[in-house]
Amino acid sequence: MKNEFEIKDLNLFYGDFQALKNLSLDIETNKVTALIGPSGCGKSTFLRTLNRMNDLIDSCKISGDINFDNNDIYAAEYDVIYLRTNVGMVFQKPNPFPMTIYDNVAYGPRCQGIKDKRILDKIVENSLKSAALWDEVQDRLKKSAMGLSGGQQQRLCIARAIAMEPKVILMDEPTSSLDPISTQKIENLIDELKKDYTIIIVTHSMQQAARISDSTVFFLLGEIIESGDTKTIFSNPSDKRTEDYITGRFG
Amino acid sequence: MAMISKYVTKESIRRKNLQDKIVKNIFFSSTILSASFIILIVIFILVKGIAPFVSSKYISNVNLFDFLTGIKWLDGATGISTDYGVGFLIINTIIVVLISLLISIPVSILTGLFIAKIAPKRVREIFRTVVELLASIPSIIYGVFGLGVIAPVIMNIAEVLGFQSSGGLSLITTSIVLGMMTIPTITVISENSIRSVDKILEEGSLALGASPTQTQLKVLIPAAKSGIFAGIILGIGRALGEATAVSMVSGNRFSGLVFNPFDTTSTLTSRMLLGIKETTGIDYDIRFSVGLVLMLVIILANIILKVIMKKVGNLDDN
Amino acid sequence: MIISDRKLKARRRKDNSVKGIILSFSSVGLLVFASILIYIFKTGGGLVGYDLLISDYQDFNTDVIVNEVSGDFTYSSTLDDDEYYSNKWDVVLTDTKDREGKDIVVISYIGENSPLRDVSDLNSIVDSGFVRVNIPINSSVDSIILDDYDFIAFSKFGAETMVDIMNMGTSIDSMTLVKEGGGIRGSLITTLYLIGLTLVIAVPIGVFSAIYINEYARKNKLTKYMKTMIDMLTGVPSIIFGLMGAAIFIPFVNGTIGTSGGSIISGALTMAVILLPVIIKSTEEALKVIPFDIRTASLSLGANQTQTTFKVILPSAIPGIMTGILLGIGRIIGESAALIYAIGASIKDKVILKERSTTLAVHIWTAMSGDRPNFELASAISIIILGAVIILNIIAKILVKRVSKVSY
Repeated sequence: MKNEFEIKDLNLFYGDFQALKNLSLDIETNKVTALIGPSGCGKSTFLRTLNRMNDLIDSCKISGDINFDNNDIYAAEYDVIYLRTNVGMVFQKPNPFPMTIYDNVAYGPRCQGIKDKRILDKIVENSLKSAALWDEVQDRLKKSAMGLSGGQQQRLCIARAIAMEPKVILMDEPTSSLDPISTQKIENLIDELKKDYTIIIVTHSMQQAARISDSTVFFLLGEIIESGDTKTIFSNPSDKRTEDYITGRFG
Repeated sequence: MAMISKYVTKESIRRKNLQDKIVKNIFFSSTILSASFIILIVIFILVKGIAPFVSSKYISNVNLFDFLTGIKWLDGATGISTDYGVGFLIINTIIVVLISLLISIPVSILTGLFIAKIAPKRVREIFRTVVELLASIPSIIYGVFGLGVIAPVIMNIAEVLGFQSSGGLSLITTSIVLGMMTIPTITVISENSIRSVDKILEEGSLALGASPTQTQLKVLIPAAKSGIFAGIILGIGRALGEATAVSMVSGNRFSGLVFNPFDTTSTLTSRMLLGIKETTGIDYDIRFSVGLVLMLVIILANIILKVIMKKVGNLDDN
Repeated sequence: MIISDRKLKARRRKDNSVKGIILSFSSVGLLVFASILIYIFKTGGGLVGYDLLISDYQDFNTDVIVNEVSGDFTYSSTLDDDEYYSNKWDVVLTDTKDREGKDIVVISYIGENSPLRDVSDLNSIVDSGFVRVNIPINSSVDSIILDDYDFIAFSKFGAETMVDIMNMGTSIDSMTLVKEGGGIRGSLITTLYLIGLTLVIAVPIGVFSAIYINEYARKNKLTKYMKTMIDMLTGVPSIIFGLMGAAIFIPFVNGTIGTSGGSIISGALTMAVILLPVIIKSTEEALKVIPFDIRTASLSLGANQTQTTFKVILPSAIPGIMTGILLGIGRIIGESAALIYAIGASIKDKVILKERSTTLAVHIWTAMSGDRPNFELASAISIIILGAVIILNIIAKILVKRVSKVSY
C-alpha cells in the first residue's frame, strides 16, 4: 500500500492568519480519502495545497513538506504544470468552458501538444465513458457544454480531469450544488474511479463521507484532529471532538 | 414652537408650492429640450440632405441613384459640369476602416489582456493611464502626427518598394492613423471584459495543467468574446465618423475605388470637410446629403454587427 | 499524464515566445503615445512661448522714413554667418525665419549713432510733422527705398544683398517694417470665449435635466424614452454635430441676432449640444451617490422640493458636476470638425462673438491645410492643447477620488 501523498508539518498562512497548523498526513493510493469538518476549518485550503492552486493567492505562505511521488512539490525546481497534469481537480460549482463538449474534454491533452485527431477522439471517448457520461452525450459532442444540466456538467468536469490521466483526483465538495439524483450518480462514479485513481474529496456531508470513503480525516480550526479508517472513525472515534461533530453536536 | 408658527402661514406655503411648480416645469423643459436634440438633428439633416435631390430651389437636381452609386465627385470647380457621387466614398470608407481594424483589434485585445492579467500592479497603472491619455488626445493632433510622421515614413517605404505615393498621403496612412485612434476604445472594453470572466474558469484551466498563457488565450479571451465584440463595434462607429484626422492624411481623391495601399483615397467624412471654406449653393448643401449617407452607413453597420454578435453568441449556448 | 522533460521544456519555450508577442503588441500603445509627445515637442517646442500666445496672426506693416543720411561707421564685434553689417548705416541685418517658417530679414543691431535711431512713422501725421518712433530690435524689414527710388532693397534678396544696396544710397526715403504675426492670440481668446459661452448654456440645461430625471420624474416609459434620446447623442460623430450647427444654429442666430454666416455664438450653441450628455451623465452619477434619506429628511423638516434640491442635493453634487465640466472643457478645446462647420475657419486677431473665428484646434487645421503645412505652429499649438487636456483630466480624476472618499 503505497502512499500517493506524504505531508509533514504543513503550515499555511494567509498574511498573518494561520489557516493550517502543523498538518501531517499520508494519502494512500487507490483509496478514497474524505476530508470532513465544519466550514472554514481549512479543508479546501488543504486540498488546494496539493495541486498548488494556492500559488494564485499572493498573501499565501507555506512551510513544511508535501511529497508527491517522493518529490517535494514546493521545491523551487519542481514544475507546477507537471504537478497539475498528475493531480487533477473538480470544483464545487461545475465550471465547463464555453466550448463544445468535445473541446472541453480535449482541452487538457491539447494544451500538452496532442494534436492527432484519432488520439483525441479516443481520449474523449474513454474519459466520457469513465465519467459515465458517454451514453448521454455521444451524439452531441460538438454541441456546447453549456447546454448540459448541472449534474451532467459536473460529470463533464470529471471527464475533463480524467482525460489528463492523473494519478490523483482532488474533489472540492463536488456534489454540494447538485440534486440528489445527480449526487447519487457521482457517488457511484467515485466508487468506480477509485480502482484507477486516488481520490481525495472534501465534503460537508458526513453521510457522503461514510458512504463512499475508505479513510476519513477530521479537520477543526486548521488542525487535523483525527484520521483513519472510515468505519472506525464513524463508529468508534478516539477524540471527543470528532465524536461531537459526527453526532451533530456542532458544525 | 410658537416662534416658528408665525412664519408658517397659508400664504408662505402657497408660495412654496408655486415655486415648486415653476421650478419643476423649468427642469422638465430642460429635459425635453435635451431629449429633443437628437430628433432635431435627424430631421434637419434629413431635410437638408434630401433637398439637392428634390427641391426646386436649385437649377438642377441631383439624381439620387447616380449619387449613391457614383464613383466620382466633380464639384464644377474646374468648369466641367457637376457630377456628385458617393458610391466610391462609401466603399473607400469601409476599406479604410476595415484595414484600420487589422491594426487596432489585435493590439487592443492583447493590450487589454496584458493590463488585465499579466502586468504587475505598477505597470498596470502606467498602461491604464497611457490608454486613458491616448483616448483624450483630440483628433486634430492625431492628424498632425499622421501628416508629420506617418506620411513621410510611408512615402519612404513606397519609394523603396517602387510605388508611387503622393507625399505619403494614402490609404495605408489613413488606416494607420485611424487604427491608432481606435486602440484606446477597444482596449478599455477588452480589459474590462477579460477581467470580468469568472475566476473559476481560469482556475479550471490551470488545474488541468494549462499554463497561464494558454489559459489566457484559450479560455479567458474566448469567454470575454461578447464584451470584446461590443468594444469593437464601438470602435468601428468612431472610426466611421472620424473626420479631421482622415481629411488631413487621406489625400482627398476625387474618384475611383482604392485598393492600393499607397494610393490616395477619400472617405465620406473627408469629402464633407474638403473645400468647406469656399463653397456655396448646392455644393454646400450636398454635404448634408453626404452626412445623411454617413449616418445611414453607421446605423447599418451597427445593426449588421449586432446581428452577427447575437448569432455568434447563440452558437455558443446551443 | 506522463510528459517527458523534453516536452516540458519545449512547452516552456513556446509559452515564452507567445508571452513575448503579447508583450510587444501591448507596447504599441505606449509607443504611439511616446511618439506623439516626442514629435510635437521636438517640432513645436521652440515656438511655444509668451509671444506666441499674445501676438497677432496678421503681419502688421509700418512705413518709416529715416530722418538722417548715411555716414561712416565701424562695428567692433564679430558677425555670425547670417549677419551682415552696413558700415554706412551702422546696423546689422540678419537672415532668419519667421513663425511660419518663411525667410525674413531682421534688423538685429542698431548702433548708438546710427541714423536709424531717428525715424518717423509715415502713416501718422500730427501738426509738427510725422511722429517719431523707435525701431524695436529684431524688427523684420520688408523693403528699403533709397535715394528717391534709385535703390530698392527687398527682403527676398537676403540680408547680404540688402546691406550692399543700402550702402549704395545716402538717404532712406521709406522703409517697410513688419511686425510679424503668426501668433495665436486671436485663437486663444476665441477658445476661451467659446468655453465660457458653451458652459453658460450647457451647464444649466444639463444639470436641470439630470435633476429632473433623477429627482422628479416618475420611472415610466416617457422617462425611459427621454433618457434613451439623450444617450443617443453620445454616439453621434462630431462632424454630424457640425452639420447640425450649420443647419440649425447658424440660421437661428442669423435670424435672431442678425449675424451673417457662422459665429462664435452658433459654435457655442453647437458645442453645448455636444456637451449635454457629458454634463447630464456626470450630474446623474453625482446625484445617484447621494443617499435617498437625505431628501426625506429635508422634506420632513418642511422644506419644499425646490429648497431640497438647491440647498441640500446640488451642493453635494457639485464635485461630480465639476468633473463633467472639466471633461467638457477638454472636449471644447480639442474639437475641430464640428466647429469648422458651425463657426467657420477664418483666423482673426480681433475676436467678436457675432463673427466667425478659429479656436486653437481649428487654427491648427487651417495652418495645416494648403500647400505649405506649418508643422511647427501646429505642433506648438498641439503642445498647448494637449497640456490643457491632460491637466483637466488630472484635476477631474482628483475630484473623483475626493468624491468617493466622502462617506455618508
